[in-house]
Amino acid sequence: MLEHRVQGVDHAAFPTFDPAGTVRFYRDVLGFPVVHSICAAGWGPEDHPDFVHFFFDIGRGDRIAFFYYFGLEPVHDAGRGDVYARFGPDVPEFFVRSRHLAIHVQDEADLLEYRRRLDDSAWPVEMQIRHETIESIYTHDPNGYMVELTRAMRPVTPQEDLDANLTIDALLDVVAEPDPTFGKLLARKAELIVERAADWEPAR
Amino acid sequence: MTALYVLDVPENSPLATVAARDPEVRVDRIGPYFAITADGPIVVDRRATGCRHAVWYSAVAGVARDSRIVQHDKDALRVEPVALPPAGAPS
Repeated sequence: MLEHRVQGVDHAAFPTFDPAGTVRFYRDVLGFPVVHSICAAGWGPEDHPDFVHFFFDIGRGDRIAFFYYFGLEPVHDAGRGDVYARFGPDVPEFFVRSRHLAIHVQDEADLLEYRRRLDDSAWPVEMQIRHETIESIYTHDPNGYMVELTRAMRPVTPQEDLDANLTIDALLDVVAEPDPTFGKLLARKAELIVERAADWEPAR
Repeated sequence: MTALYVLDVPENSPLATVAARDPEVRVDRIGPYFAITADGPIVVDRRATGCRHAVWYSAVAGVARDSRIVQHDKDALRVEPVALPPAGAPS
């Protein structure tokens, strides 16, 4: 096993054509502090525009960041998707909604606090869902990016880490063969459970 | 034989409890998994488990190759034995 040295998200970056809406949403509605920004004149071999790269703290020093490019018009019409990626009518809705950023909160009180902040804004909560082990609220930011805030309803158990690893090993075996299916995954995973689960000890 | 594996976490345990009510069904353990086995079908009524959908549809960890899920919907999970071709038979 390789030594695991990384320390969380430094920043995840997204383009925006609406810096005013973006600052209202993240700083003024959610209360995420602005912690860093870079104002850069365009340079480089491409015809790169001047830009502002600005960052909001999303907790524990992790950050979400945006690029605003001066003079750049939206690269596509809005429609389904977000300002970065647009999807035609042939793309199913579950796929369009699959990519999102989920930000962790400590408990139900904090989740409801962020729900209150969003519901008082132009970007109210669109869904609040208990997935049994987590509870989440969802909205879309002014750029169309899906944002989730989530709390754990119980701690993750050690056996779930084992299960996740058996799932991934089974998945890699199944996708290495033609026509992967969920049924084949469950069959391969059953074999791995029989081979490996009996001797498993929770890590101390 | 029919064999179904379910990870032992709090929200999954009702599934094993309900399955075990059938006298034809055995519930044993392999490490942190419930091993639910029977000579014939294994049928679990969802409402009897109290499992909500997010748990219900993600509770199955594994199904042995000689078994097959024939029903997994809002009403029930039903796993049945399948006849495997004899060893060496063309597939």
